[in-house]
Amino acid sequence: MNITQILFWFLSALTVFSALMVVVSKNPVYSVLWLIFTFFCISGHYIMLNAQFLFIVNIIVYAGAIMVLFLFVIMLMNLNQSSEPKKHRWLRMAGVVAGGCLLLVLVAALKNIDIKKQVAETNTGDIGLIGNLGKVLFNQYVVPFEISSILFLSAMVGTVVIGKKE
Amino acid sequence: MNALLLTAVFGVIMMLSSFLLTSKTAIRGLAVSGMVIVLAANVLEMMGIVFFKIDTKDMIAFDRFSLLFNSIVFISTLVYFLLSARDMEKVGINYGEYFALIFFVLCGVTLSSSFHSLLILFLGIEIISIPLYILTGSDKRNLKSNEASLKYFLLGAFSTGLMLMGIALIYGATGTFSTNGITTSPTSALVIAGMLLLMFSMAFKVSAAPFHFWTPDVYDGAPTVFTSFMATIVKVAAFIAFMRLFNDEFGSLQSRWQLLIALITAITLFIGNITAVFQQSVKRMLAYSSISQAGFMMMAIFAMNADAREGLLLYSAAYCLATIGIFAVLMKLKDYSFDGFNAFAKQQPLLAATTTIFLLSLAGIPLTAGFLSKFWMIKAVAGTGKYLWLVIFAVLMAVVSVYYYFRVIQAMYFKEGDGQTIEASLPFKWTLVLLAGIIVLLGVFPNWIIYWLYF
Amino acid sequence: MGASSLIVLMIAAVAFSGIAILISKFVLKATTNKQKGEPYECGIPTKGPSWVQFNVGYYLFALIFLIFDVELIFLFPWAVVVKQVGWLALVEIVVFFFILFMGFLYAHKKGALKWM
Repeated sequence: MNITQILFWFLSALTVFSALMVVVSKNPVYSVLWLIFTFFCISGHYIMLNAQFLFIVNIIVYAGAIMVLFLFVIMLMNLNQSSEPKKHRWLRMAGVVAGGCLLLVLVAALKNIDIKKQVAETNTGDIGLIGNLGKVLFNQYVVPFEISSILFLSAMVGTVVIGKKE
Repeated sequence: MNALLLTAVFGVIMMLSSFLLTSKTAIRGLAVSGMVIVLAANVLEMMGIVFFKIDTKDMIAFDRFSLLFNSIVFISTLVYFLLSARDMEKVGINYGEYFALIFFVLCGVTLSSSFHSLLILFLGIEIISIPLYILTGSDKRNLKSNEASLKYFLLGAFSTGLMLMGIALIYGATGTFSTNGITTSPTSALVIAGMLLLMFSMAFKVSAAPFHFWTPDVYDGAPTVFTSFMATIVKVAAFIAFMRLFNDEFGSLQSRWQLLIALITAITLFIGNITAVFQQSVKRMLAYSSISQAGFMMMAIFAMNADAREGLLLYSAAYCLATIGIFAVLMKLKDYSFDGFNAFAKQQPLLAATTTIFLLSLAGIPLTAGFLSKFWMIKAVAGTGKYLWLVIFAVLMAVVSVYYYFRVIQAMYFKEGDGQTIEASLPFKWTLVLLAGIIVLLGVFPNWIIYWLYF
Repeated sequence: MGASSLIVLMIAAVAFSGIAILISKFVLKATTNKQKGEPYECGIPTKGPSWVQFNVGYYLFALIFLIFDVELIFLFPWAVVVKQVGWLALVEIVVFFFILFMGFLYAHKKGALKWM
């Protein structure tokens, strides 16, 4: 086991642990903080895959902007530790069964993929480099790129329509 | 390409008009003329005149099928604007934005009807969904509207997540986004899992059972004028996307998904029709009726042959026009229950007559477009030669649907009541008469639509 | 160098702060009293729970910030490749930003960027 592998397993364990803590935490603010931690762990994986653009997006957009929104929502709804309603036991069981089914399908699908037995591509992988991504984005994927601006625009109109005080 | 660009441009124009124009009549006029221009540009493209030649790297394919469908959608939206644009004023103060959001939805519709890449499918579905979440919750003072919007947003976001996961798995298996059909290792579990995830998320978007639970609440809670838009144009657009996806990408795997789609179809037909019978509010009945109509449209996905393609186009036209007409009349009433229609025929004989034609078309009575479209669906399923129980079941369910559609007709003509005073302008009445005329004409000459698919 | 230097740095960072905390723990004699827990010259002590409901107004800003944040991300790969792709990239980004500028204009004119 070389040093990158140790790093990989360490990060993976940390990711799973913090993701579990998101669900387990009773206090919603703690959940958000654990979620930010999860994002940082995943960003660590991106760095190890030499995917710098994803790393930046994950930090700036997810851990930065979206988590601010999450916190605002929690503060907006004034969620307290005690205000969480008790769910029915059968409802919980149904949730477990449904989630377990999805897990089963995904595990079955992922089990027979060809894994290249490589956990990290530090300094070698070139697929996530910003330059390569930019070349693909501005040559091959121009049309989806421009269309996504319409998506942003409709989101912006929606924000103003819903959020602005009348 | 014409329609795609112009809908986006008019979305931006309507957005700017919300603060540039102060008169509501001017905004409405702008929206209607914009719709006419978009429609004209799309018809020109069908004749081969393309204004803008953009190399989409084979990601968007505007073929005859999608162009014809776009025309149907634009005509329906034009009718919708003419009938219901005035009612949007009552929803809230953001009059211009509502039109802008509708134009953005139409942009998404053109994308999702002509995608040739899973990426464009995702963008199209998202551009359709996000404005709809907003429109559902646009009646901000109404708690039901807020609840509907939140419910729709959470479930819609979840199903979009499923779709993304499916796209990721398909990409992992094939290494490409373009929908040229699965050629490499069709038995791979990755492909099957991705296909199932895509199927479930699309079934959610078209509100097929068992993914229909959001539909009644959202359609009931949303402002009626936007329910009309959601239940018709957006629903058929999702169906076209569903059909394109399963025709282009998963066509070679038909034997693998056909049984599952048949089951979804049967459950959708059953739940939609049986639950609609027990409804007390016409608006909620129409929500369940939209589920049951979705069941009939699912038969096209199941059959996936030439009849199914023709039938789905005919079905979209018949279903959209009739439902838009009923909702336009419903919006004029204050009481949305069945009793609200009591003695409607005495007070407004013309409106009652047109509403009757719309209801007959939805129920699938001969001489209306609804009958022929249902006939086409059944013909398509029978043409596959498999699962003939589905045909019998569909006919049975169509008979059940007659009950709840005729309940409205019965209330209008044969029940005594005080009758609500409603005001309907003369142009409104004439548009409805024109709409009813189109539905009857399509019921007699369906080739007027199908001809365009092949000429 | 490479990943090994990174992990050495990580270990060093953890060890440095850990050792500092440990030393202070052993060397100092900790005292606790009520006075020590008070905010010293940092405002007045809070009364009741400090969890209060936020104003919806913040949310509008957060949402608009998020949208522009995502847009800005696209500028990053563009800046890296603009020389290689050439004038076409310039046209593409100008179109993209023109559309989004319309959105900005709209938000500004609607008063969405004004406080309340």
